[in-house]
Amino acid sequence: MISLITNFLTNAIQSGTSVLYGIYGETITERSGIVNLGTEGSMILGAIAAYIVAADSGSMGLAIICAMLAGGALALIHAYLCINRKANQLASGLTLMFLGLGIAAFYGREYVSVSITGLNKIAIPLLSKIPVIGEAFFNQDILTYLSFVLCPVLWWFLYKTRKGLFLRAAGEDKEVVYAYGKNPQSLRYLATVLGGMISAIGGAQLSIAYTKTWSEGMTNGRGIIAVSLVVLAKYNPSKAMIGAYVYGGAQALNVILQSQGVEISPFLLMMLPYVITLVALFVSSVRKGTNAPNELKNIIGG
Amino acid sequence: MKIMKKLLALGLCVSMMTAMVACGGSDSASTESTSAAGEKTTIGFIYVGASDDYGYNQAAYKGMEAVKAHFGDKVEILNQEKVPETSEASDVLEQMIQSGATILFPTSFGHLTPAEDVAKNYPNVIFEHQGGMETMPNLGTYFGTIWDPYYLAGIAAGHATKSNKLGFVAAFPISQSLANVNAYTLGAQSVNPDITTTVIFTGDWSDPAKQTEAANTLIADGCDVLAQHQDATKTIVELCEANNVYTVGYHADASELAPNMWLTAAVWDWSGLFVDICQAIMDGKWQGSQYDAIYRGGMAEGIVDLAPFGKAVPQEVQDEILALKAEMIAGTRHTFENEIKDQNGNVVCENGSFLSEEQVESMNYFVEGVIGTIE
Amino acid sequence: MSRLKNNKSLMQALSWIGMIIIAFIIFGIFLLMQGANPLEAYKNMFESTLTNQIGISKLILKSVPFILLAVATSISTRAGLVNVGVEGQLMIGMLFTITAANFLFTSLPTVLGLILLAIVGMLGGALYGGVAGLFRVKANMNETITTVVMNYISYFIVSLAVYGYLRDPEGFNWPMSTQISDSLTLPKLFGTVNIGIIIALLVVALVWYFINKTKTGFKMKVVCGNPNAAKNAGINVNKVRFFAMVATGAIAGLAGMIEICGVEGRLRTTTCQDYGYLGFLAAWMAWNNPVLSVATAVIISFLSVSGNVLEFKNNLPASSTQILMSIVLLAIMWRGKGRKES
Repeated sequence: MISLITNFLTNAIQSGTSVLYGIYGETITERSGIVNLGTEGSMILGAIAAYIVAADSGSMGLAIICAMLAGGALALIHAYLCINRKANQLASGLTLMFLGLGIAAFYGREYVSVSITGLNKIAIPLLSKIPVIGEAFFNQDILTYLSFVLCPVLWWFLYKTRKGLFLRAAGEDKEVVYAYGKNPQSLRYLATVLGGMISAIGGAQLSIAYTKTWSEGMTNGRGIIAVSLVVLAKYNPSKAMIGAYVYGGAQALNVILQSQGVEISPFLLMMLPYVITLVALFVSSVRKGTNAPNELKNIIGG
Repeated sequence: MKIMKKLLALGLCVSMMTAMVACGGSDSASTESTSAAGEKTTIGFIYVGASDDYGYNQAAYKGMEAVKAHFGDKVEILNQEKVPETSEASDVLEQMIQSGATILFPTSFGHLTPAEDVAKNYPNVIFEHQGGMETMPNLGTYFGTIWDPYYLAGIAAGHATKSNKLGFVAAFPISQSLANVNAYTLGAQSVNPDITTTVIFTGDWSDPAKQTEAANTLIADGCDVLAQHQDATKTIVELCEANNVYTVGYHADASELAPNMWLTAAVWDWSGLFVDICQAIMDGKWQGSQYDAIYRGGMAEGIVDLAPFGKAVPQEVQDEILALKAEMIAGTRHTFENEIKDQNGNVVCENGSFLSEEQVESMNYFVEGVIGTIE
Repeated sequence: MSRLKNNKSLMQALSWIGMIIIAFIIFGIFLLMQGANPLEAYKNMFESTLTNQIGISKLILKSVPFILLAVATSISTRAGLVNVGVEGQLMIGMLFTITAANFLFTSLPTVLGLILLAIVGMLGGALYGGVAGLFRVKANMNETITTVVMNYISYFIVSLAVYGYLRDPEGFNWPMSTQISDSLTLPKLFGTVNIGIIIALLVVALVWYFINKTKTGFKMKVVCGNPNAAKNAGINVNKVRFFAMVATGAIAGLAGMIEICGVEGRLRTTTCQDYGYLGFLAAWMAWNNPVLSVATAVIISFLSVSGNVLEFKNNLPASSTQILMSIVLLAIMWRGKGRKES
C-alpha cells in the first residue's frame, strides 16, 4: 500500500513535470499579454532537438541548450506574427503547433530506434530516505529538480525585478509601459521567446530524462493542456505546481486504478485528467474569479 | 531576381494547370493498365501509423521493402503512412489507383470497409487486406496467428516470475490485444495456475510517457515480468532492464535493449508472404489461389515467430518451449484449447475443442486470472 | 468609388495568391533538400486533384466540413468569443447522429429521416457548445480554455460509445459503429458528391445574413466591440454570448451529421479527427468572414487531398503535408489584413 502511494506521488510528479515547464513558459508569455498555443510545438521541438543532440553528441547540457534554442525559435515566429504582423494569436499558435509537430516528426524519423543514456535519477542523500514522499520528491532526474527551483526563481523575476514589473505591465496596460519610456513590444518579444525556451525544457524532460525515447508526437497534447492549466495556476509561477500536479495526479490515478483492477471503463479513467482539470478550473473560477492580464482579455475574451 | 523567376515559373505552372482543368474534362478511372511484359506494376501500401514506429506498421513496411528488393525494377511502390481508418483511407486508395496502382495493401484491420468501398468500383485492381475476415472477388485477406508465439512467451514468463504477477501494457481493448493478453496468461498459467496478469490500457499506441507511467505502476504493484502490445516497444523494454524486471517484447526482436532481462518476444515477418502474394498476382495466378480468400499463416509459414531467447531463460525452459512450438507447427497443439473460462467464470472454450481464428480475432473478454477491465 | 473598391479587393486577392505561391516556393526548397523535384511534385498534386472528376469530387467533399466548421467558429468570434471547441462539438454531433440513425430512425423514409438526423446532430453540437457557453456566462470561465479541454473529453466520450453500445456486432469486435442504413445517406448531386456542399453554402449565406442584417447579429457586434457599452444599451450580454456558443455548436453538429450521413457512414474513434482545429484556422485565416472562409476552407481541403499524392508519389512521410499546410497558413497570416484594416 505504501509503495502504491509512493508510486502515485512519483508518477504524479513525473507526468506533471513536462506540463509544469509548459505552464512556467506560458505564464511568462501570457503575463506580457501574448497567448501562445504553440507551446505544444515548442515542447515537441525541444523533445526532438534534445534527443538528436543527446544521441549524436552524448552531452546532456548541450542537448538542453539546443532544445531551448529550438523551442525559442518557434516562439520567435509567434512573436513576430503577433506583434509585427498583428496576426491572431490563437490561429498563429495553433499553426505553429502543427508546424512544430510536423518538423519534429520529419527530422525524428531516424531517431525512433536510437538509444541514449539520458539523464538518470539522482537520489538526494537523506532527503530521499524520508518515508512515502522522499522517493517521490528527492529521487528524480535533474530536470525535475530544476523545475522545483524554477518556481521561486520565476516568481522572483516576475514580481521582484524591474524587468518583471514592466513585463507584467505590458500585459496589463501597455500605455503605462510607454509612459515609462519602455517598449511593451520588445518586452513581449522577450516574454514569448523566453516562454518558448522554458516550455522546450519540458519537452526535453520527456524525451531525454523521463522516457529516454523519441516517438512522434510524444508530447501528445501536454503543451495544450499546459495553456489551460495556466488559468488554474492564476498566471502565477508560484502556483504553477498546483496546476501541473493536478493533471499529473489525475493521470497517475488513472493508471493506478487500472492496475488495481477497478471495474470502471478504461476510457472513463483516461478521461479523468481532463475532467479533473475542467472541474478544478470551474471551482477556482467560481471561488476566486479570474485574474487574467488585461491585455489578454482582448485576445481570448477574458 | 531569382525569386521573381521562380515566381514566374510557378505562376506559369498554375495557369497551365487551370488550362488543363478547362480542357481536360473528366478522364476518370482510365487506369486499366494490366501488367504487360516489360511494364512496371504499381503496388500501393497504406499504413495506419508511422511506418517507422518500430512496431506493427514497421513490420508491414519491412514486408514492403522485401517486395521492393525482390522485384526491383519490375515494380513501382507507393507508400502512405498514418492513414486513418476512415473515408481518408478510401481517398488514398483511390488516388493510388489513379496513379496506376493495380495491387493495394491496406495493412490495418480498420482499413477494410474503406477498401471495400473502393474495391467494388475497381474490379481490375486487387486488394490484399491485413487482418480481416471478409473477402470480395478482388479482395483477399491475410493475417498471422501472433497469439501462438505469445502463448510460448507466456511460458517463459511463467517460469521467470517469482511474485506470480505478470504485467501487460496495452493500448486499446481491441480483440488483437485481448487475444495476446489471454494467450500470454494461459501460457504462464500452464506453468503455474496461480499466476495473474495485470493489464493497463494507455489509450495510445506510442506515447512513451504513458508507457513509462504504466510500467512503473505495474512494477510498484509487484509485477516482475512485463509484456506489451504497443507500437514502439523500446521504452518499456529499456525500462525493464533498468529496473531489473523481466521483459517480453512484441513486433520485433529488441533483445539488445535488455541484455539481462530479455526473455523473448512474439514477432512478425511479412516479407515472404508479401513477395509471394505479389508474385501470384503478377503471374495472373491470384484468382482462386489461397490469397484470394481468408488466408491465415503462423509459425509454420514463418509469418509469426518467437524471437531468440535471452540469457534469462534457462536451457531446460527453452527446450520445453521449443518442443511445444514444434507441436504447434505440426498442428497438434493450439493456444486456445480445452476448457477456458473468462473473467466471470463463463466457459468460452469447451473441453476437447479449440477456438477458430475467427473466434480468436473477435475476442471481447479476458480469461480468468487477468486483472483488467475492457468496457 | 466602387471601382476603387473593386481594384482594392482585386489587389488583395492577388497578394493573397502571391503569399500562397511564396509558401509553395519555401516548401519547394524543402523538397529539393529531400531530393524531390518540387515542380514535378506540385504538378502531380494539381493534376491529380484538379484535372479529373474524382479529384474534384474529393476536393468538394472535403471542403464541406471545413466550410461549416469555419462558419460555426466565426459566429462565436462575432460575439467576442474565441471558441476552439468546434472539434468537440463536431464529435458530439456525429455521436448523436449515429446513435439516432442506428437506434431510432433506422426505418424512416429518407427525407424525414435526414431532416430528423440533421436536427439531432445539431442538437448534439449545440448541447456541447451550450455547456461551454454556460461555463462562460454562469461561472465566468474562459471559453477558449474550457473548449480546448472539452475537445479532449469529447474524444473519450466517443471512444466510450464506439467501444461500447455503438459497436458493430458484426465488426469482429473492432471499435467502429454499425453502418447507417442506405436510406439515411445524403442524396448525391453527381458522382460521389452529395448535397452537403449545397447545405454548407446555404449555411454560409444564412450566417452572413444573420450577422450583417438581423437585430441579434447587430447585438453580437455591439457585444464584441464593447461589452460594457452593450450592457449600458440594455443588451443582455450573457444571453447573446450563450446564444452564440449554442449556434456555433449547432452548425458544428450539422457538419457532423453531414459527415456521417454523407461520407463516413460509421463512427470510429478517429473519424474527422483534427477537422475542428483546421476549421478554426480556416475561419481565422478569413478574418471570420463567412464568405471568405469558403476560400480558405477550399485551400485547406486542397492541401489535405493533394497532400496524399505528394506523399506517396515522392515517398515522403505524412509530416510533410503537415509542414506544407503550416507554411501556407503562416504565409497567409504573415500577409495579414493588409492596409485595409490599419
